[in-house]
Amino acid sequence: MSLYPSFARPNSLAQASELLAGLSGGSVIIAGGQEIMPHINHGAMQPDIYIDIGGLKELRGISEADGVVSIGALTVHRELQGNAIVAEKLPMLADAASRAGGGRQVHNRATLGGNLVAMHPLYDIAPALLALGAEVELVKAGETRRTSLAALMHETSHGLGSEAILVRVLVPAMAAGTGWAYEKLKLSGGAYGSANAAATVQLDAGRITAATLTIGAVADRIIDAAAAVQGLIGQAWTAAAAEQLELRCPALVKQPLSDQQGSGEWRQAMAGVVARRAMAAAVARAGQK
Amino acid sequence: MMDDLLVQSVLVQWRVNGKLHEIEAMPGMSLLDAVREQLGLTGTHMGCQTGHCGACTVMLDGRIVKSCLTQAATLPRAEIVTIEGLKRADGTLNPVQQAFWDEAGFQCGYCAPGMLLSAMELLAEHPDPTDAQIDTGLAGNLCRCTGYRSLVRAVKAAAAKMRETS
Ligand SMILES: Cc1cc2nc3c(=O)[nH]c(=O)nc-3n(C[C@H](O)[C@H](O)[C@H](O)COP(=O)(O)OP(=O)(O)OC[C@H]3O[C@@H](n4cnc5c(N)ncnc54)[C@H](O)[C@@H]3O)c2cc1C
Repeated sequence: MSLYPSFARPNSLAQASELLAGLSGGSVIIAGGQEIMPHINHGAMQPDIYIDIGGLKELRGISEADGVVSIGALTVHRELQGNAIVAEKLPMLADAASRAGGGRQVHNRATLGGNLVAMHPLYDIAPALLALGAEVELVKAGETRRTSLAALMHETSHGLGSEAILVRVLVPAMAAGTGWAYEKLKLSGGAYGSANAAATVQLDAGRITAATLTIGAVADRIIDAAAAVQGLIGQAWTAAAAEQLELRCPALVKQPLSDQQGSGEWRQAMAGVVARRAMAAAVARAGQK
Repeated sequence: MMDDLLVQSVLVQWRVNGKLHEIEAMPGMSLLDAVREQLGLTGTHMGCQTGHCGACTVMLDGRIVKSCLTQAATLPRAEIVTIEGLKRADGTLNPVQQAFWDEAGFQCGYCAPGMLLSAMELLAEHPDPTDAQIDTGLAGNLCRCTGYRSLVRAVKAAAAKMRETS
């Protein structure tokens, strides 16, 4: 064993998966490097083996078939913001990707896969994808598996980043007329939000027929606020409905984060505020083309 | 054997500011270290090494990136432009550099490589940027002198000059 780390750049998914299986967990996958390089630069992370997945074509490209948009894990934020399919079928994802911090330089290199695998509670893309009901395709030891992003975020042994590869993200195209909004409440000009919310809504004759809502950056996991929106179904979006929603959300935040982004108590309250703002903006947008 | 894929250094070929280089990239090494230490191009500055300050910005295959966050070995072939490559063929400053000079866009100069490259990418896409577009365009760069107003002025001046001559 050398003292220096090793490096490999497999050129197919099959090869990468076989390689990772043979290394049994001792390696670190690198895509854009935006997440792991700070740790490497400061010596906090010293992997023995890097597996560069930048050469895997299976992880690239954006396409749509049968109402599902398939996005390669290597797609960078910049492409999510500018891609025509994403703009038309998943505008909320394009918007959430544009709200990430770090500037254009980061948007040019940060991948969708790396953002999701980081599973960072303050990040912007997962709340939007969860509200859109996204699924993911993973490969581990030669086996392909598809699961919902929501389920993946609760798995403890998915092995992503060392044994398993996130290949694609599959998102149902938003139905025509769906209202949507991504709200990011920021304390300062810094990158991260103190409370984020993603909402989608469908209206019929002024009444809400379906809605999804997720809340991020307030707890160590992104919160599915389905329970809070349940009461809105069949109702019109009135001041009273908005207030109800705002009051219901804080209770969903069992253990609020308390960090540079704000104190726990405040974050809990802001969960309700961003939820209300996101839903209000989604309602305002519903039915428009 | 799959293990054959594992190497201890990667021979990368880059065209940097128009000149071809072949260098040994050790796993883990950043593009920043490769540019500064192996190529001796110290105009690209090392700041925070966490991706927040933007002083290490270079252009990689036509798009700006933070070189401290980019691992050299992951770039087997690349076209790179650093601040040393911005001047015009006759040695004079390009219009964005000139505007920064005229509008006091350089104070201590530490953030300059990142500010210039970010401004150039912004202006390539938005020849007449709004204030909001300039803010977003420069959002990946910090100026410790807090000279943001002169930076915004410089970008506007560069935009006007470039529209005039194009
Ligand atoms: C200054 C700065 C500000 C930021 N601000 C925000 C923000 O406001 N909001 C936000 O959402 N994000 C933000 N980010 C995060 C950024 O979006 C992520 O760091 C980036 O998307 C990670 O992708 P990458 O390819 O560069 O990851 P890498 O560093 O290459 O990898 C990250 C992790 O994912 C694993 N991995 C990567 N790809 C795969 C794959 N396909 N399969 C399995 N494992 C994989 C790696 O092993 C590693 O563990 C910011 C980043 C920076 C540097």
